[in-house]
Amino acid sequence: MNVFNSVINSLLSAYSAMVSWAPAAAGFAVIAALTGVVMLLVFRKLSDQERIGAAKRKVQAHLLELRIFRDEPAVMWRAQGALMKHNLRYLGLMLQPALVLALPITLLLVHLDAFYGRAPLEIGQPAIVTLAMKRPLDPAAPAPQLIAPAGVAVETPAVRALDLREVSWRIRPLRRVSGKLQFIVNGRTVVKDIEAGPGARFVPGRRVSSAFEGLWHPDEPLIAAPGIEWIDIRHPDSSMRLFGVGMDWTVWFIVLAMIAGLLLKKPLRVTF
Amino acid sequence: MIRWIALASLSLALAACSRETTEAAPRSVIVLGVDGMDPQFLEAHWDALPNLDKLRREGGFERLGTTVPPQSPVAWSTVITGMDPGGTGIFDFIRRDPKTYMPLSSMAETTPPTHTLAIGPYTIPLSGGGVRTLRAGTAFWQLLSDAHIPSTIIRMPVNFPPVECEAQSLAGMGTPDMQGSFGTFTFFTNDPEEKRTQVAGGVVAHVKITNGRVVLPVDGPANGFRRDHAVVKAVLTAYIDPTAPAARFDIDGQEILLKQGEWSDWLTANFRLLPGIKTDTGIFRLYLQQVHPYLRLYMSPVNIDPDDPDLPISTPANYSRTLAQALGRYYTQGIPEESGAYREGFLTRAEYLEQSHKVLSDSLRMLKYQLDNFHGGLLFYYFSSIDQNSHMLWGKYDSDLLDIYRGVDKGVGEAMQKADRTGATLIVMSDHGFASFKRAVHLNTWLMREGFLTLDNPENTSDQAGFPHVDWSKTQAYAIGLNGIYVNQDGREGSGVVSPADKQALLDRIAQRLLALRDPKNGEQVVDRVYFPDKVFRGRNLKESPDLFVGFRRGYRASWQTALGAVPKDIIDDNTDAWIGDHCMATDEVPGSLLSNRRLVLADPHLYDIPATILKAFGVAKDREMIGHSVL
Repeated sequence: MNVFNSVINSLLSAYSAMVSWAPAAAGFAVIAALTGVVMLLVFRKLSDQERIGAAKRKVQAHLLELRIFRDEPAVMWRAQGALMKHNLRYLGLMLQPALVLALPITLLLVHLDAFYGRAPLEIGQPAIVTLAMKRPLDPAAPAPQLIAPAGVAVETPAVRALDLREVSWRIRPLRRVSGKLQFIVNGRTVVKDIEAGPGARFVPGRRVSSAFEGLWHPDEPLIAAPGIEWIDIRHPDSSMRLFGVGMDWTVWFIVLAMIAGLLLKKPLRVTF
Repeated sequence: MIRWIALASLSLALAACSRETTEAAPRSVIVLGVDGMDPQFLEAHWDALPNLDKLRREGGFERLGTTVPPQSPVAWSTVITGMDPGGTGIFDFIRRDPKTYMPLSSMAETTPPTHTLAIGPYTIPLSGGGVRTLRAGTAFWQLLSDAHIPSTIIRMPVNFPPVECEAQSLAGMGTPDMQGSFGTFTFFTNDPEEKRTQVAGGVVAHVKITNGRVVLPVDGPANGFRRDHAVVKAVLTAYIDPTAPAARFDIDGQEILLKQGEWSDWLTANFRLLPGIKTDTGIFRLYLQQVHPYLRLYMSPVNIDPDDPDLPISTPANYSRTLAQALGRYYTQGIPEESGAYREGFLTRAEYLEQSHKVLSDSLRMLKYQLDNFHGGLLFYYFSSIDQNSHMLWGKYDSDLLDIYRGVDKGVGEAMQKADRTGATLIVMSDHGFASFKRAVHLNTWLMREGFLTLDNPENTSDQAGFPHVDWSKTQAYAIGLNGIYVNQDGREGSGVVSPADKQALLDRIAQRLLALRDPKNGEQVVDRVYFPDKVFRGRNLKESPDLFVGFRRGYRASWQTALGAVPKDIIDDNTDAWIGDHCMATDEVPGSLLSNRRLVLADPHLYDIPATILKAFGVAKDREMIGHSVL
C-alpha cells in the first residue's frame, strides 16, 4: 500500500511541481480536462461502442415514434415499452465501463484531495491535532508528548479523551512551515507532516495505520508503531475558485472533466 | 467657425461642471453613540483621553440633557425619533401588563401566529406572528432614506427588529439571545459546594463526569413548531483530561481545546426545530474557569448567529451576514458584556474585565470596518462598553474604567481621522451620565409603609417578584420598573380601586411624601424630584406610562426587587451588589455628554436635538413630531 500510494503521490507531486509557475486553478483545470480525456479513451476501449450506438439509435427511434403516433394509443404503449427496454439496455452497456472507471477515479480524487481539498493551516490561527489509540488510554500513565517544529507553538498540554481513546493538542503556526510533528508514544516516535502558511500545495490528511484505511488516506506512509490508530490535523477546507465562482473542488473537477469529454467526444469518435 | 468654437467651449464648460458635481464630496456625518459616557468623568480625565480632549478643543463639549427617566431604552428612543418619551411610548426597560401587574419588556413584543396547522406533536404556523418594536415614531434614518441619503446604523439601541428602510443597519440593545431573553448564561459544574440552580440572568447546570466525559446541554429557542413549545437543545460534549488543567469540547463537528482560564472563540450550535427541515443556529463562547478538582465552565448566552440569523437583526436582512463574512462572527445580543455572571459571582472582576475588553476590541474592529467602508451619508455607531463597565466599576475601580474609556477614545481618534480626511461632521454623544449606586430603595415597601399598598399579611414581605402577596383590593399604588409608580386605577388595572377622579390627588400625596423621604441611615434626602408625565412630556402617547416618575438623588436608586414587583422588609438597603454605578435617578443628576468637531451653538442641548442636527446637516426636513433643534 505504501509503495502504491507513494508512486501516485510522486506522480501528482511531479505534475504539481511542473505547473507550479501557473496559477493553481490552471494546473487544476488541466488535470481535470486530462482526466476527462483519459476517461473518454478508456471508456471507448472498455465499452461496446457499436452496441451502445445501436441502443441509442433505438431509443431515438422510439422517441420519434412517440411524437409521430400521438393519436394511436396501441402504438404509443408499444413504443413506451420498447423505449424502456432499450434505455435499460443502454444503461447496462454503460454500466460495465463506468464500474471499471469508478475505482481509479475515486483513488485519483482521494489523492488529489491533498492538493486541492485541504488548505495549509493559517498563520496565527489555532488548529487541533489528534492522535487516536487502538486500545483504551491508561489515565495513570504519562500522556503522549508532542514536539512541534520551529514556527509552530503547542498551546495546550495533551488532553486525553479517555472515552474516545484520543489525545489532542492545540497548536498555532507562527510562520510558514513545511515540517513534521513528532509524537512520543510509549517511548516510540511517530511523525506527521504539517503544512502552514500561504500558497496551495500538497497538504497531507490523516495518517493511518491500517492498509484498508490507507486506501482512503494515502498521503503519508502507514503508521508502523504499534498501538496508534491514526493521527490527524484539522485543516481548513479549501474551495476552488474558477470563473469567479468558488465551489468544492470535486464539483469543479467533475464539471471540467465532463466538458472536456463532451468536447472531444466526436473528434475521438466515442459514443455514449 | 466661431459658432463651432462657441459650441465646443460650451460643451467643455458643461463637462467640467458635470465633473465637479460628481466629484464633490457628499455630505457626511459620523455619530458615535457612547452609552453612559459621563461628562464629569471626562472632565476629570482629559489628559488620559487625548482624542476626546482634542475634539472638545477643536469643536465643542457640552452636557447633553437626558430624558425622564434617564434610562438607556428611553433615552435612545428619543435619539431615534426626536420625540420625548411621551411620543415614543418607551418609559422604562420594563412595562407592566395592567391586567396582571406582571412585568414585560418595554422594547419589543413577540406575537404568536394567528393560524396554525397541528400535526401530531407539531404545529405548523400558517400566517401571522412575529416580533415587533413597541417604539412609536419615525426613525431619523427613515427620513434620510426617503431623501436617498445613504445611512449605516450600527447597534442602535431599541432598534430590534430594525426599522425597515434602505439604510444598512444592525440591531443593538433589545436584541434577544436565542432563548428570547436579554441574555441567559449557563454555568456547568460538578462542584458539590455549588447549590444554586437559578440565578438572575442565568442557570447553574449540575453535571456528572463519567470516564472524563460529560454531556452539556445547550439550550436554544422554545420550539414554535411543537405544541408543547419544548426548548430545543444542542449537545456539547466535554472531555476532561484526568490530570492536566485542560479539556476538549465537541459540538456539531467543531472541536476546540481550552486550558484553564481561557475563553473560547465562537462555537456554533444547531437547534433542530423540524428535523431535516428547519434548523436555527446560535453562537456562544465558553470560559473554562476550573478543571480540577471540580469542573467550572461558563457558557455565554447563546447569541443569534449573524451568519444565519433566524430573527430579523439587520437591514437588509443579509447585512449581518456581510459583516460576519468580513469580520468573523460577533456578538448580536443587545448587551454583550457578561455583567450578570460577574454580579452572581461566577466570574471574578478580572475575568469579567477580560471579556469586556474582548467585546470592546470586537466593537473597535467593526467600527474600523465601517469607517473604511464609509463613503458619505450618515454613519451611526454605538458603543455599549462604557455603560456596562460603569455599572460594575463606577467610583471604586476608576483605573479599570479609565481603560475602557481609553478604548473608546481610540475609536474616537479613528473617527476623527476619517472626518478630517473627508470633511465629515463628527458628533460624539452619550445618552446619560453616571453616579454611584450605594443605597437601594424598595419603593413598594415604602408605598406599603405609607399606606398606599397593602399585603394580605404584613409579615409576607419578601424578595419574591410579581406582587405575590399584594391585596389589590386595598392597594392604591404600586411600583414596577426602575423609576415608575402606577396608580391601581379602576377600569385600567386588573383589580383597580382608585377612580380616575381621585387619581391626581393621590399622586400629589405620594409625590409630597416621596420628597419628604429621608434615609434612616444618614438622614439624607432620597428623592430629588418627582415628575408627572402630563407635565414633563410634550407627547401624549402615555398609555404605557407610569403615573409618576421618581427622580432619586445621586447614590440612590430603586432596588432590583422593586423593578420586578417585590415587597422586601426594609425601605432602604445598602447596595451589596457588584452593580455599583447607575443612572436611573433624577434627570439633572446624570446628564450625557456632547462633543463635536464643529462649534456647538445651541444652549442647553438635549437628546432630542441630535436627530434634528443630523437631518439639518443633510438638508432634510424634520418630522412634524420631532421637537429638537440643530446643535450646530
